[in-house]
Amino acid sequence: MKISVFGCELTGLVTAGALAHAGNDVMALPVGQVKVEDLVAGRLPREEPGLDALLAQQYQEGRLQFEADWQDGLAHADVLILSTPSWRLDRAEALIELIGETVERDVLVVNQSTFPVGTADRFEQRLLDAFAKRKLAINVAVVAMPDFISEGSALDNFMRPDRIVLGCRQPGSIKIMRDLLRPFNRMTDQIKVMSTRAAEYTKYAVNALLATRISLVNELANNAEHFDIDFEEVRQGLGSDSRIGFSYLYPGCGFGGPSFAADVRSLVGDLQTKGYDADLLRTVLSNNEIQKEVLFRKAWRFFDTDLRGLKIGVWGLSFKPNTSTVENAPSLKALEAFAAQGAQIKAYDPKAMEDFAASWQGAQPIELVDTMYEAIEGVDALVILTEWKLFWNPDYAVMKQKMRQPIIFDGRNIFDPDIMKQQGFRYFGVGRGEEI
Amino acid sequence: MAVDQSKAWQKLDALAKSGAADKHLKTWFEQDPNRAQRYAIELDELFLDYSKNRIDDEILTALFELAQQQALPDWIDRLISGEEVNDTEGRPALHTVLRAGTDASIKGFAASVQADVKDQFTKMTAIVNKVRAGHWRGYSGKPITDVVNIGVGGSDLGPLMVTQALQTQTSPINLHFISSIDGTQTSNLLKGLNQETTLFVLASKSFTTIDTLSNAETAKDWLEERIPSLNTIMAQHFIGVSTKPDMMSEWGIPPENQLLFWDWVGGRYSLWASIGFPIALKVGMDGFFDMLAGANLMDQHFAQAPLEQNIPVVMGLIDVWHINFLGIQAKAILPYDARLRYLPAYLEQLVMESNGKSVNRQGETVNYKTCPILWGEVGPNAQHAFYQLLHQGTQAVMSDFIAPVERDDFDRYSETHKNESLRYQHRLALANCFAQSRVLMLGDAAIPDNLKSSFDSAFKHYAGNQPSNTLLLKSISAKTLGMLVALYEHKTFVESVMWEINPFDQWGVELGKLIAKDTYQAMLDAQQADRFDGSTAQLLNRVKMS
Repeated sequence: MKISVFGCELTGLVTAGALAHAGNDVMALPVGQVKVEDLVAGRLPREEPGLDALLAQQYQEGRLQFEADWQDGLAHADVLILSTPSWRLDRAEALIELIGETVERDVLVVNQSTFPVGTADRFEQRLLDAFAKRKLAINVAVVAMPDFISEGSALDNFMRPDRIVLGCRQPGSIKIMRDLLRPFNRMTDQIKVMSTRAAEYTKYAVNALLATRISLVNELANNAEHFDIDFEEVRQGLGSDSRIGFSYLYPGCGFGGPSFAADVRSLVGDLQTKGYDADLLRTVLSNNEIQKEVLFRKAWRFFDTDLRGLKIGVWGLSFKPNTSTVENAPSLKALEAFAAQGAQIKAYDPKAMEDFAASWQGAQPIELVDTMYEAIEGVDALVILTEWKLFWNPDYAVMKQKMRQPIIFDGRNIFDPDIMKQQGFRYFGVGRGEEI
Repeated sequence: MAVDQSKAWQKLDALAKSGAADKHLKTWFEQDPNRAQRYAIELDELFLDYSKNRIDDEILTALFELAQQQALPDWIDRLISGEEVNDTEGRPALHTVLRAGTDASIKGFAASVQADVKDQFTKMTAIVNKVRAGHWRGYSGKPITDVVNIGVGGSDLGPLMVTQALQTQTSPINLHFISSIDGTQTSNLLKGLNQETTLFVLASKSFTTIDTLSNAETAKDWLEERIPSLNTIMAQHFIGVSTKPDMMSEWGIPPENQLLFWDWVGGRYSLWASIGFPIALKVGMDGFFDMLAGANLMDQHFAQAPLEQNIPVVMGLIDVWHINFLGIQAKAILPYDARLRYLPAYLEQLVMESNGKSVNRQGETVNYKTCPILWGEVGPNAQHAFYQLLHQGTQAVMSDFIAPVERDDFDRYSETHKNESLRYQHRLALANCFAQSRVLMLGDAAIPDNLKSSFDSAFKHYAGNQPSNTLLLKSISAKTLGMLVALYEHKTFVESVMWEINPFDQWGVELGKLIAKDTYQAMLDAQQADRFDGSTAQLLNRVKMS
């Protein structure tokens, strides 16, 4: 099939790469800042495991091309996939206008972007009106196919999805989409067909539910500390309940990332514009912002409200492992709090230090170092903000030797409190470890 | 020689008696069509129309002669350069230097304190920025969200008035004010606050004010319910503002949490110093400095403009005319914007604590009236209350109408229904302001011809002839508030110079405080009630019974 993907952020590139990999003739076109020459040269806007290799291979084999001119994309394909970040609705509107003005044959638009509920219907109506004005009898459909890919496992998410939500009511379009997605829908039928609005809302609802679950787990874990309970034991008890399950049950120092919280926030905002309220979700969001400082608060109390001149080592800056992104990451907020109290910070992250340096707005500069052990040299405490696998089994002896004080504040609960105690560390996790 | 025996005073007295006192404002306007244009002064974003006062050129000339005779220009110079104009307490009254910045033209003692002022503003800036950025933490590490100012009089009214006036500006901090000695404000407020996120500002010039210290003790007890460490309470939950660092330290406030000012700043002038801390929390240090800049603009005008074009001088002299030569003993402050609701209370202190005196600088009892009774209310609300007395009572009252020309809390160019309604309401408020001052001035003459018949009754008679000023501000902003408050400070000073009294002391408030201590002791000991007069003894006994 001939396909054009508009948008070369993570979702767009994964979609383009995967569809080319399945034998389609794919053209990918940026809608925002991304430059075609960077894509051709293999410089991707985000690091993502396996993606650069996949794109390079598809590009070399000729099934994937990158172009800047949207007209080329419209001329190239019958299926147009829209994959912009949620805050680039303006670019999507411009593209729809261009389609309405230039396309002369049947067209299927697939929207992967997270836009407000009702956007796909509105786009479809705009195209119908535009073609009617041009007196063209063309079949038009705008299908909603929200993306559920996560950074760090994006390719896998796309190629072996849990389910594919397809917002579409026209049998002809459903048929084309089923054919297109066939390579990724083999073992059992994972495609859930529903109205476009339901599909759009499902995306928001999934994020809202997960965010709420994380915030509730965090609250339960924070409170467990006051009863001298190890929340890890409680987690086992909770997860084994079939009504609850184990996923998204880890407490931690808050969630972040470019779209998760943003999607929930825009849902709350859309509802407010319409005059409705979403009390619970607003609380979830504000609780998460407070949770981002949970390690700061522990250190604040441990060091008796005076952090001036303390040296703090940090492991992990990205909002989750295997990504180079710090957007909305707890690291930004937590370290800003430490810095504002006059603590000196040294940090290490395997991939996100560049992005962190560009995003940092704290009171004083943070020293970014090349290894995890350098980050703890002479420090009064270690703060763990991202659970990169690299951090799980460090050399405890080296750590103790390097740290001025063997104190660990662990926002991802990657260590066992008993072992840490045995090793001579003061260890404070979220919902486990020592109580302050 | 007392001022009322002086040549200039006698001349004014003669003018009043030779007809000016009986002349109706209506007549003055009929005889002089250009009066309004002539009796108006504009300064930057402030416009004064003083034409609706019972004056003419001859009276004004005589008033300026009185000002010259009383050496007003010299007094202004002495005030601003920091001479000991507060002679009963042996200190200057240097509120003007607080807003002069690093102005090199400042001279005398005033110049010597500029560095201290700058240091305290630097310290205040650091604290304000930390609190507003969410980096001032409570005991548990959460950011402070609520700040409670505990202070009374000058440590309360200024910040309260200004922060209310600037309520349309969003602030990251919720501000609260408690002042009254009885503790009900405190206990009620604390119910809605959380110890983790609440910071108290303990503001007291002398740091002995029992009202403030007793409220602070209650706040401390409330914090102790949750916070075991007194050090933490003091380090994270109290900021002190005072002229007495030693006493703040003794109370437990660490030096880094102390904001200082000086005994040469009167309590009712202290919002320009660190007592203005809550204002800075509300609008940021930039906003606070805007307010100082507005006041400084008025200071420069007061120091430099010729008397005839000098707004505080003109307003002060006209009130002296009304009070001493036309026998008017009441002054109403009537802001036509609810954001200025605390302005009357603020001016009650500024004006009446300054000039409510009957002894001149030599300690002699004066034979003339001084400060009138000043009160006020948001104008549109007062129209439904005491305006009846203004229009038809037996009291002559002079009024100041105050209104913003523009409002900043809605979009002037937006066409939404809500904006349209707000625009309509603003015009309505201004129309009421202008209509009321006109009716007070003209009385029956304001009634349109076609309606005259329906006002044909003694009960519907409007005497008019009530004088007023109208002050228009471009908008209500930190800057215009600075200008407005400085204007009233200087106007009050002008009047004090005419009356030869010291406006900067307040001995009249001391005795009551002293007697309260004694009375408190009597309340603890049933036997002591007999020491008091019959009425006090009876009241003491009532309290004991309950």
